Amino acid sequence: MAFRLGSEFVAGVLVGALIGWGIDTVFDVAPWGMLVFTLVGFGAGVMNMLRAAGETGKKSGPKA
Amino acid sequence: MNIDPIHQFEVQRYADLLRVSGVSFSFTNASAFMIGIVGAIFLFLTFATRGRTLVPGRMQSVAEMSYEFIAKMVRDSAGNEGMVFFPLVFSLFMFVFVANVIGLVPYTFTITAHIIVTAALALLVIGTVVIYGFWRHGTHFLHLFVPSGVPSFLLPFVVLIEVVSFLSRPISLSLRLFANMLAGHIALKVFAFFVVGLSSAGIAGMFGATLPFFMIVALTALELLVAVLQAYVFAVLTSIYLNDAVHPGH
Repeated sequence: MAFRLGSEFVAGVLVGALIGWGIDTVFDVAPWGMLVFTLVGFGAGVMNMLRAAGETGKKSGPKA
Repeated sequence: MNIDPIHQFEVQRYADLLRVSGVSFSFTNASAFMIGIVGAIFLFLTFATRGRTLVPGRMQSVAEMSYEFIAKMVRDSAGNEGMVFFPLVFSLFMFVFVANVIGLVPYTFTITAHIIVTAALALLVIGTVVIYGFWRHGTHFLHLFVPSGVPSFLLPFVVLIEVVSFLSRPISLSLRLFANMLAGHIALKVFAFFVVGLSSAGIAGMFGATLPFFMIVALTALELLVAVLQAYVFAVLTSIYLNDAVHPGH
């Protein structure tokens, strides 16, 4: 299930960067939107990953 | 000889159905395969449940097993109230499962290796979560983004991260299925081209070509596993996300 965790993390960063880029283009505040939201996305990715690991951990014991 | 591992994913337009302001809605090989997949599922389930014997035969056993498998999955992760979504999860699982497995047959088209298809499925799931969540719980649904027991000075930051995390769900859901199917099919094609290329280089090449040939056999088995596993993962994650719509707030 390693691929599952990887994709959760990548998706978080991707969405963060995308939101940041959107804010940059709409409000014309480049590069601040992307800087801040990529970091937020990084945090969201880590949280996604921890949550996914918790779900698999609950089912199959601590070895996952 | 066409050495292009991407060629298998090409969408061919069979017929233009209608045109709305320059955008063509056409019948393609992807649409043909989708109709075929739905038809195959429909025929299988109809045929399998036709007898409705108390002691199930072979076909009926398979149908009952797939029903119980998904029902248990939904009940485990979304509870008994989550069973309203059983038809959705069952349809999604069967569709993705049959699409993945059919895609492994040579000369077929793998619709799940197109991100537009998987993204549409993922958006259907997340759209269901959002709409049902707001319809059932109203603004209480927003408690999904506010975990309890967080210090108040951290709360805005945590809520922001929760929102981004929620928005990343359709991306990860669609990307995972798409990437797995695409990568597997490209790997199979690349190894197949090794066989063709090596065997055209004389006797030594013929012997050399047996190595990638056995690799293809092994990869095909692995791809069958991946096809089944990804359909399972898609269904499990769907029911986990639907759980948030039924029980918001951690």
